[in-house]
Amino acid sequence: MTTDAIKKTSGLTALANPTRFLALVRIVLPYLAVLTVALLGIGLGMGFSVPDDYQQGRTVRIMFVHVPSVWMAMGAYMVMVSGALGVLVWRHPLADVAARSAAPIGAAFTFLGLATGSIWGRPMWGTWWVWDARLTSFLVLLIIYLGLIALWNAVEEPAKSARMAAVVVLVGALNIPIIRFSVEWFTTLHQGPSVVRAGGPSLAPHFLYPLLIMGLAFLLLFLTLHLMAMRNEILRRQIRTGQRKAARSHRGGAAPEDQA
Amino acid sequence: MSVLFGSKYFGFILSAYGITAAVLVALTVWILVVHKMRRRQLSQLEKAGMKRASRSNV
Repeated sequence: MTTDAIKKTSGLTALANPTRFLALVRIVLPYLAVLTVALLGIGLGMGFSVPDDYQQGRTVRIMFVHVPSVWMAMGAYMVMVSGALGVLVWRHPLADVAARSAAPIGAAFTFLGLATGSIWGRPMWGTWWVWDARLTSFLVLLIIYLGLIALWNAVEEPAKSARMAAVVVLVGALNIPIIRFSVEWFTTLHQGPSVVRAGGPSLAPHFLYPLLIMGLAFLLLFLTLHLMAMRNEILRRQIRTGQRKAARSHRGGAAPEDQA
Repeated sequence: MSVLFGSKYFGFILSAYGITAAVLVALTVWILVVHKMRRRQLSQLEKAGMKRASRSNV
């Protein structure tokens, strides 16, 4: 093993230790939070300065919260997929913590994607909702998030709930390409891709740049909230372990190491 | 911003930004409140003699 490889391995192993991870979070969080607020401010300023769109008029500004919410809804799910692989393949101690902590945040962004899309759709399409492939598959994503949150809370034994949820996360991941390509595979009221598409973005630069800034701001917001939620989950497991040890010592038995 | 006031779709734009701000602020506050509660619980357990599990595993 080369020196670099050893350093890399020890770095990853070091992060598996919750105390070291929490120490890292304590250092990183303030910078992330400040950067998030700054980018949100810049993005909102740019977003409200754009000219009206020739077709959508002023409602085009809804795009600057709708599209980043949708990106983060799917991004959070991909974090859960990485966590699920970490649980099933590498059995990394923080993998389930990462996946479980991303779920409520992803659900919130999915709800925002649906809500802001519906608010935008009413003046542009003349309807709040239509059962087309994009909207329906995105609603399915919210249902998957809620189901996973329920599953994690329903199964008491942590290792078992981690494995069960990991399998469901991987099965649910099939919905991500369906959401992405639904506007190309089916006839939908929802417009086709306009940023990530073959031939480059079709958006005019004065709309594209504020959108990318808001996308970056939402990404940093997600990272900030995710680290905070992971910290909470680690504390929850420490409390659970402590309570079980206390209960065992009250019963007079030995207090074996709890696996969380 | 002032360009939005009096716009035909002002209500829709305000609602979209309002709901986004409300949900994201509520999510942040919820995470912070949970953190505070768990810290308190953990320090109570430590006072009762618990050794920090973080020093051994997750």
